Amino acid sequence: MAGDPLATLRDDALQDDTSALVARARAGDGAAWERLVERYTGLLWSIARAHGLGDADAGDVVQTSWLRLVERIDALDDPSAAGCWLAATARNECRGLARRRTRDLALMPFGARAASGPDEVAVARERLGRVGAALEVLPRRCRTLLRMFAQAASYAELAAALGVPVGSVGPTRARCLAALRRLVP
Amino acid sequence: MNDEELMAGARAAFDALDPVPEGVLAAARSALAWRAPAAALAELRHDGAVRPAAGVRGGTGRSLRFACAAEPAAGPAVEIEVTGDGRHREITGRLVPPASAEIVVRHRDVPAGRTAGRTGQSGMFCLPEVPEGLVSLLFRLPGGASVVTSWVRV
Repeated sequence: MAGDPLATLRDDALQDDTSALVARARAGDGAAWERLVERYTGLLWSIARAHGLGDADAGDVVQTSWLRLVERIDALDDPSAAGCWLAATARNECRGLARRRTRDLALMPFGARAASGPDEVAVARERLGRVGAALEVLPRRCRTLLRMFAQAASYAELAAALGVPVGSVGPTRARCLAALRRLVP
Repeated sequence: MNDEELMAGARAAFDALDPVPEGVLAAARSALAWRAPAAALAELRHDGAVRPAAGVRGGTGRSLRFACAAEPAAGPAVEIEVTGDGRHREITGRLVPPASAEIVVRHRDVPAGRTAGRTGQSGMFCLPEVPEGLVSLLFRLPGGASVVTSWVRV
């Protein structure tokens, strides 16, 4: 991260803020809790999807992660790392669930959601334009990584989500963006 | 298109094609209401399959053990067996060491705070109809202390 001062700055600002929000949530401040939920639910959902989970299982993993944070909110060693803690928890839950479900684990195709009718999907695709079209032809691994990178998460949180060292997040992000760029005319 | 524009385009595409369902966000917002700061947390220590004794209905079940992290333990350990499929589970279990306690089933579809039963002599209990899904059991011990299990999906 030494070569990426902007990312470091952003990480610091975000973590201070997360720490304050956790402190307020500990004191029972529902608005602070909602801010945490808005900040991290997208990341947790993307982690569940990266493990190939369908809607019901992904929803369970996200909710389990939040409930685990509620269980431990008073005992967290480092409240500024709550985002990392949530990401690592979601990853562990996904892996546990996947082990139990190996036999009926079906990979969700990108964008396949039961709730969307064909018309909705067509409209969405049109709106998405070139980047959306490129994402659909990216290899799955790269797509799920990009999905996590697209979340407003710090490098430390992304490292926890992926189970990799923080130092490898920047280069991986750059590789995935380069792969996407090659596909965007 | 620079990197940030490209990433913004990717974010918009993911948000449009696979947004986080509103129900998932709503459940997360309401999760804080499940805080039980006065209760000692019994964390999951074991989760395995068990084969019930011959003649017992329900095929295979799951055996789980929860225990408090602190030493000496802030409360009894909780051992349960979960059987049944479909929409409800039967949960039988015991507190170790045995203790007399009121039991509260914490579950999205169970009214909060309602007593679901008591542990009998030797700390045994049976909850015949627990809805499937994420559940946590809270035990109110004599003298005002309580123990709550970590959330598990049953």
